Amino acid sequence: MKKCLLCGQVFVAKVTFVELFSWNKQEAQCICCNCQSKYMRIPDKHCPICFGKLSQDKFCSDCIKWQKIYGQKLLKNHSIYLYNRAFHDLMVNYKRYGDYALHKVLQELCLEDLAKFKADLYVPVPTSPEHLAQRQFDTVSSIYGSLVSLTPVLGKKAGLGAQGEKNRAERLRSAQSFFVKKNFTINFQKCKILLLDDIYTTGRTLYHARDALAEVFPNAKISSFTLCR
Amino acid sequence: MESISNLAGRQWLSSQMDFSTKDGLTKIEAIKDGRCLRCNAKVYAKLPSGKKYCRACIGLGRIVEGDYLIRNKQKINFSIKANGGLTWKGELTSLQAEIARKLTKNYVDGRDSLVHAVTGAGKTEMLFPLIAHCLAEGKRCCIATPRIDVVNELYPRFQKAFSEIKIGKYHGREYQEPGLEQLTICTTHQLLKFFHAFDLLVIDEADSFPYAHNSELHFAAKNAVSANGQRVYLTATPTKDLLVSVEEGKLRKLKLKRRFHGNLLPVPKEKLFLRPFLHQNKINVRLIKEIVKVIQAGHPLLLFVPRVDQIKLYVDALKKEPKFSQIRISGVYANDINRIEKVEKFRAGKIQLLVTTTILERGVTFNHVWVIVVQADDKIYSASSLVQIAGRVGRAKTDPSGLVLFCYHKYTKSIRDAMKQIREMNK
Repeated sequence: MKKCLLCGQVFVAKVTFVELFSWNKQEAQCICCNCQSKYMRIPDKHCPICFGKLSQDKFCSDCIKWQKIYGQKLLKNHSIYLYNRAFHDLMVNYKRYGDYALHKVLQELCLEDLAKFKADLYVPVPTSPEHLAQRQFDTVSSIYGSLVSLTPVLGKKAGLGAQGEKNRAERLRSAQSFFVKKNFTINFQKCKILLLDDIYTTGRTLYHARDALAEVFPNAKISSFTLCR
Repeated sequence: MESISNLAGRQWLSSQMDFSTKDGLTKIEAIKDGRCLRCNAKVYAKLPSGKKYCRACIGLGRIVEGDYLIRNKQKINFSIKANGGLTWKGELTSLQAEIARKLTKNYVDGRDSLVHAVTGAGKTEMLFPLIAHCLAEGKRCCIATPRIDVVNELYPRFQKAFSEIKIGKYHGREYQEPGLEQLTICTTHQLLKFFHAFDLLVIDEADSFPYAHNSELHFAAKNAVSANGQRVYLTATPTKDLLVSVEEGKLRKLKLKRRFHGNLLPVPKEKLFLRPFLHQNKINVRLIKEIVKVIQAGHPLLLFVPRVDQIKLYVDALKKEPKFSQIRISGVYANDINRIEKVEKFRAGKIQLLVTTTILERGVTFNHVWVIVVQADDKIYSASSLVQIAGRVGRAKTDPSGLVLFCYHKYTKSIRDAMKQIREMNK
């Protein structure tokens, strides 16, 4: 019997036959199936580039815009869930209110999918220093840190305001705020890098992160992974 | 200093606003001995730094170990209006007046009260004399209720009745600068922001979610009242803890068994169903028959279903049914963007059949409405829920009876208890 981290309801975690006799203790489930069912997976028919919503075109409207700027150099992104009301509420509690315990819920929601991605380096999109000071935790690293080994090569400049508080046009206009930290000596050339973030909204953040990395490591193969699209 | 006196009786987090150096303010550790001093919840969640933080009241701003709560204990002298600012000209029935008199007496005696009154008894009006009495003494009062809808319904009624008093209205769905009002109407969650503020605190719908069985909100309701202040609980279906307090002599119970129009509560009919209510997008034929009866009788119908996702299924299935081609059908749920509009349309008769969840179980009045509860045996319906739902019917003086129908597959304790309570009140 466990208490659901989201609704407080007591529930019985599912145990498979294999787990029952396995020595490796599985990370215990932390939300009940009722809460879990509120998060909708992205349907099979989605934008082949970024997992966004498709209309008539081959790509989604965001990727068509990015094509005008980047041509063929679009960022391949993988996302798992639709950004519906339930996910919005979860992210508000996690990021705005700073409920750190919810990183466990987000981990549980993405661990199976993330395991399918093999990369040489996993790079988290960084939080601004102001947000870090206010929340006292890093939102992205807290989710992925214990699932894969992170290489935090990216830094974020201070004093630029939160993406989440801007509207779509403002987000798209925002300037490059990421930089590659100087003290990294790993050889990034020709390796596979997976950028990790929580939400892909317009793509602005992830494209900036990709650009900062690609400038310093032009031969690296970079793609991205987010929980939501 | 003026801005601080606006915050009299309130408490806030040191990180939110730091006035700790000024007079009249006290500063205490927000988390002490593993408990949050704002909501009294046990604090167990930790930040990466190892510092604990409170998850229970995080919506009002996160409290982390080492933070301080600032409390404003200033006493305020309100200017006193004649008759406490009560301008209401209506009249109480003799039963209501009796309760109102006892409420004031309990208050003068320094005792807390529980008003156990049937749905549609006119509880709000019975409060007027007590509140006028308090306000006339320069005391500070608050009416708190678990539901935002009830706050929105009570506020205009009190504004009208106490037209000379400035009333504060606070709930989480609209931002309001904290002000200093002699009379406050708010949700029970907002009470977490107050400390020893009120001389009288009324908790309306004290049996309803989320206040019922929520220890943080119960703590807040205790904390918001000044050391020698009084509480009044209003409910149609008292929870066990309230009844226990009555037995222990901590609460004086006042019972009102009749509605304001003096008629009995409609006793629900129960119907056992063997087949599913909704199968392959078709509604059970017997259920359709029941709905047809209501429509033919010319009454608007509230059809209660247990879960939000069922609303669309029922609405679609009902619309497909040829017998209902002439009537307008709609569905409403808590986060529906058109919720208020749909409820208004139903009230105006522009929608004849409204499929709904428990959001419309209490605090709302529709003239001539009849009610069918589908799956009344679902665990979402507590006895008090069912009593409240039944209480939607027959509220008007001109039409004091009507149909309440509980449809079930399996007779539950909640249904039995609800029936028992209604019959008991009708004795």
